[in-house]
Amino acid sequence: MHHARIIITLTLAFLTLAGLQPAAAEEEFVTALTGKFPPFSYYDNQGNLAGFDVDVSREIAQRINQKSQIIATEWDGILAGLLAEKYDAIIGSMAITPVRQQSVDFSTPYYHSGAQLFIHRDNPNKVYSISECNGLRIAVVLGETYQHFLEEKFPEVEVVTLKSGAEIFAMMEQKRITGFVTDRLVGAWQVKEAGRPFVPVGEMLYKERIGIPVRKDRPELLGQINQALAAMEDDGTMQGIHQRYFGLGKTSSSELGTMQPSVIAIKLLKGFAVSLGIAFAAILLGFVLAVPCGLLLTFRRGSLKPIHFMVRAFVDFIRGTPVLIQLLFVWLGLGLAPFPAAILTLGISAMAYMAEVIRAGLMSVDPGQDLGARALGLSPVDRFRFVVWPQAFRIAIPPLMNCVVSLIKDTALVSIISIPELIREAQSIISVTFEPGLYYLIAGLMFFAVTFPLMKFSDRVEQSIKAKGFSHD
Amino acid sequence: MIEVQNLAYTYADGTKAVNDVSMTFPEQGIFAVMGLSGSGKTTLLNCIARFLFPQQGEILLDGQDIQGMQEVDFRQQVGVVFQHLNLFPHMNVLENMMLALERVQGKTKAAAKAESLEMLERLNIAELAQSYPAQVSGGQAQRVAIARGLALKPKFMLLDEPTSALDAATTSDFAQWLRELQEFTSFIVVTHDLPFAEQTAGQGVFMENGLVQERGSLAEVLKNIDRCSRNKTGTG
Repeated sequence: MHHARIIITLTLAFLTLAGLQPAAAEEEFVTALTGKFPPFSYYDNQGNLAGFDVDVSREIAQRINQKSQIIATEWDGILAGLLAEKYDAIIGSMAITPVRQQSVDFSTPYYHSGAQLFIHRDNPNKVYSISECNGLRIAVVLGETYQHFLEEKFPEVEVVTLKSGAEIFAMMEQKRITGFVTDRLVGAWQVKEAGRPFVPVGEMLYKERIGIPVRKDRPELLGQINQALAAMEDDGTMQGIHQRYFGLGKTSSSELGTMQPSVIAIKLLKGFAVSLGIAFAAILLGFVLAVPCGLLLTFRRGSLKPIHFMVRAFVDFIRGTPVLIQLLFVWLGLGLAPFPAAILTLGISAMAYMAEVIRAGLMSVDPGQDLGARALGLSPVDRFRFVVWPQAFRIAIPPLMNCVVSLIKDTALVSIISIPELIREAQSIISVTFEPGLYYLIAGLMFFAVTFPLMKFSDRVEQSIKAKGFSHD
Repeated sequence: MIEVQNLAYTYADGTKAVNDVSMTFPEQGIFAVMGLSGSGKTTLLNCIARFLFPQQGEILLDGQDIQGMQEVDFRQQVGVVFQHLNLFPHMNVLENMMLALERVQGKTKAAAKAESLEMLERLNIAELAQSYPAQVSGGQAQRVAIARGLALKPKFMLLDEPTSALDAATTSDFAQWLRELQEFTSFIVVTHDLPFAEQTAGQGVFMENGLVQERGSLAEVLKNIDRCSRNKTGTG
């Protein structure tokens, strides 16, 4: 009983702490970007956010007398996050499009760029413009405007959507794609920084105006931003920021494109600590909920039948839907802050699987055990607590360990709701170092270092259960 | 004393397992309820153990209807050892015995342990205290299950087919051991094993088709069964 109380207290404490993280404080100008779009947004060699968009964000915050807070999140959910009031604006190189303008208001453009096709210098497919790419694989980052543009204007092109520039570069190196379409400035910068043999070909596909989207219910904020942008343009600040990143000789390869090993190590370890912290909290939550749910699942008859069917339906629904959708629903649909959303979603998901395992464990305990305890005069609670549950739990340990291992691996999904866990940290390192093979391997090994002992432990428990002759089947 | 009066039990499928049975179990000694399988003897035991609720008749424990008794009181007065024993596999023998002493009788851990060890000592199975159920033989497990029941010091102990998992030699040892336990409590032994009943019980009944066919001292009952089956053979 004592243990159970500690576990519940810890879980509640964790949820409360996580819940205290403010999504948007009064005095702060909270903006979002990806942190994976150098030189507009990336992590510098000290592991801090830097880039053109970062500087613009901070400058605007200062000019509207607010404290700048920048959130790094995934590009494919960034607009949804703005609409869900997770931040005030996106200063992340977002192109102004009519579709986006239906849901948000854009500031005046703060820079102009355009879409450009890049190909491998060897040009194995002999293409010199996008119109020659019919049937060929051309990559874009998932959710970028280039995707819709290509699909609409060049439907014959096989569009490959990838998560970031680093993945595109790796695919290019392996010649698994013919080329990629990205922002002309970013592409040129990346190719130069990463020292990759890619070249731009053909005219710009189209020109883009890059603006700052805010929610339609914040016209005063939009006015303030536009005022700040105009002032920055007038006094040369914007020009200065531009020079810092695109001016000749201003951006040295030694500063960008590399990251100190100690910074990389700290980022990976911090990310992994976040992954494991979320996993731990979710497992506690899941287990605490799974015990009563698992028990209810065994009551197919009797007065608890209606509750049984409700639990049954809920567990089936959770198990039958992707965790990713649950995560996005809780984050954007229910509007929870990222950490509570992650812990709640993964915890409920773990609960569903663990409840099934516990149900199976309870049902594999010989009914004679309960009868034997009853014959000794034990109360129903004592019969469960001292006789049925200890046996069911031991039987359930190996499959429960599988649930724990799955859950630890599932934490990789929470990167999508802007939590800086291991995968996200690895991606931010890769966006600077352009070494996806190495850092995804390291991240994988870090997970394995934790899951392998758990799997071994589960094997040993299984052996000892067999030796002691639990479970009547 | 347990008195069974006009007891009848019919299962949900219509099977009339016990049909208007009356008998008295004495305060002392070993009483055998004999019969072939399907004779209704295990149903009778389950009614006396309050796991089944008869549609007709009464069971009185020292004059009190057992249906009206508190569960905890009843269980401490009438112990049951099932055919499959139902020892708790995750606890050693000592822990199996201590559980009810602590949780039902509210004894401290130390007291429960001392009492359990003493009981094991008196039953000559003290060496099994630290063993787990999976580590002991069939005959030992049977004794451990009885020891677990006796730890609560019940007035009656019901044993369901105690010899079903034992071979002939072990049965004989077990019979002798059980006879020595009469000082602790009175036993009601449900068995189809007539030689075992003969070795242990002083009195008994023989049941057939839910009815008591014979009753009295063991020797009498066995003699009558013998004559009865001879008659049947003779006429049939």
